[in-house]
Amino acid sequence: MAGDQMVGKVPVTNLDRILYPFLGVSKKEVIGYYIRSAPRILPFLSGRALVMQRFPDGVAGQGFYEKDAPPGTPDWVTLFSHGSRTAEREIRYVVCDSPDTLIWLANLAALELNIILARTDDPERPDMLLFDLDPEPPAGFPEAVETALALSELLGELGLSPFVKTSGRKGLHVVIPLDRIYGFDETRTFVHAIGILLSRRLPKVVSELSGTHKPGTVFVDYLQNAAWKTMIAPYSLRATEQATVSMPLSWEEVRKGIMPEDFTIRTAISRQGDPWKEFFDQAERLPAVNNE
Amino acid sequence: MSEEEQESGPVPHRAFWTGSISIGLVNVPVRLMVMVREHTLSFRLLHRKDGQPIQYRRVCTRDNREVPWEDIVKGYEVREGEYIMIEREEIEAVRPESDRRIRIDRFINVLEVEPVYYDRTYLLVPDGSPEAYALLMEAFRKKGRAGIGRITLRTREYPALVREYQDALILITLHYPDEVTDPAAVEELSAIPEPGKKELALAERIIDDLTGELELSGYHDTYRERIEELIQKKMKGETVHVEKPKAAEARELMSALEETLARIKDSR
Repeated sequence: MAGDQMVGKVPVTNLDRILYPFLGVSKKEVIGYYIRSAPRILPFLSGRALVMQRFPDGVAGQGFYEKDAPPGTPDWVTLFSHGSRTAEREIRYVVCDSPDTLIWLANLAALELNIILARTDDPERPDMLLFDLDPEPPAGFPEAVETALALSELLGELGLSPFVKTSGRKGLHVVIPLDRIYGFDETRTFVHAIGILLSRRLPKVVSELSGTHKPGTVFVDYLQNAAWKTMIAPYSLRATEQATVSMPLSWEEVRKGIMPEDFTIRTAISRQGDPWKEFFDQAERLPAVNNE
Repeated sequence: MSEEEQESGPVPHRAFWTGSISIGLVNVPVRLMVMVREHTLSFRLLHRKDGQPIQYRRVCTRDNREVPWEDIVKGYEVREGEYIMIEREEIEAVRPESDRRIRIDRFINVLEVEPVYYDRTYLLVPDGSPEAYALLMEAFRKKGRAGIGRITLRTREYPALVREYQDALILITLHYPDEVTDPAAVEELSAIPEPGKKELALAERIIDDLTGELELSGYHDTYRERIEELIQKKMKGETVHVEKPKAAEARELMSALEETLARIKDSR
């Protein structure tokens, strides 16, 4: 076996291993994707606990979630320790705040990078809230789009300017950057309330957990707005056959009728512009929510 | 092993043994790597009440007191409850010294070794001098032969088979003949009757019907897969630990939002 190759200071291994068998995408290509996406993805990973989903045998194999920094984590990787109530122990989260860490993660076949909706310096105060629009078959992406557009209109009427991205699977994520003055119970309640309002305008929208799995509906999932729950990071790869990316979109693109498969490891790089470039400059406050 | 397994199979271990294959006066420097790794799941035992790991302690059966390592010695049971003590130094003294050689005694047809004798398979990789390695491999392939000889690994000497496999040399350690049960020594097998002609013809037909190509990739460890699925679900479940918003709060907020919306509309 040849000695370890280095990318910068990061040893990389098994570069030819195929991680996306349907497209023949190797680990080398995955590492290349994350290197080139670093300027766009790092602002969303830095200062934030990460939960990775690793696929050492490729997306056809068993993937697994990893919250804890794995054994052998280099000492230059930033970690954030947090005592978990449910696990009854300390979890050492990886914080991806440099291109090196990103390469190291890619080399671990951590294809899916999930982020906490709050930053490590104040994990109880979210800096974004998430409407996770999840269509239930036969509803699919077009229904998610219809829901997202109605949601955008409603939020617009309330004076908010939401951001939107594909989940990389069949849904859409509508996200609002926030001033860090709310708790998760407030953001969760807000997303839930908007869901109820939306379901009055658009009958296919389901705003309650109990109503999900009704065929043809779109669930506005508010439950992700909780401490230590995660969202797939913008520009993260997904473990799908087509190697899709959770891609930030402009509302113009959403209206034009894009499909999730338009954005893959092969096409995402050549994309002009970054619709989420100003994300953190546009933190908002929620109407009709009285924080303490 | 299936093709897919080979592509994405286990990451090879680092070499754990360095030495050389010696054939007469020729030496081929090699390193040995573990080639087969079983996918097993290991569990830690926990105390259900508080989730803390269970620890093993070495205690004396007489007074239940923990015994430090330096006071522990190996014992060989000669009769029930009766042991002789053997110190580590005594064991060390008789341990076979690994001379870091795989001594090839002769060359045989690979098929001469009954697979029942196969113990463990290791990958041999060149340790410098790739030319000698390549030469030996090519010669094995051309002649369709394998080398049979001896290797000392850690504390044991094994008979071993060295052969070419997919552009590499592999070493298979073999069991000693006295470690393998002779079927003739098994009572139940000593008196099995001759089958009837008709029954035999039927059995042969069934075998013909089911004859096919070997496709090992079709076999999965379904128990392991199910356990892993269970673990994945539990891991996800750990994060799905969310207090649901009280429906009343959300509805209250919703009315407030509706008011806000109406106010904004009026002011336009």
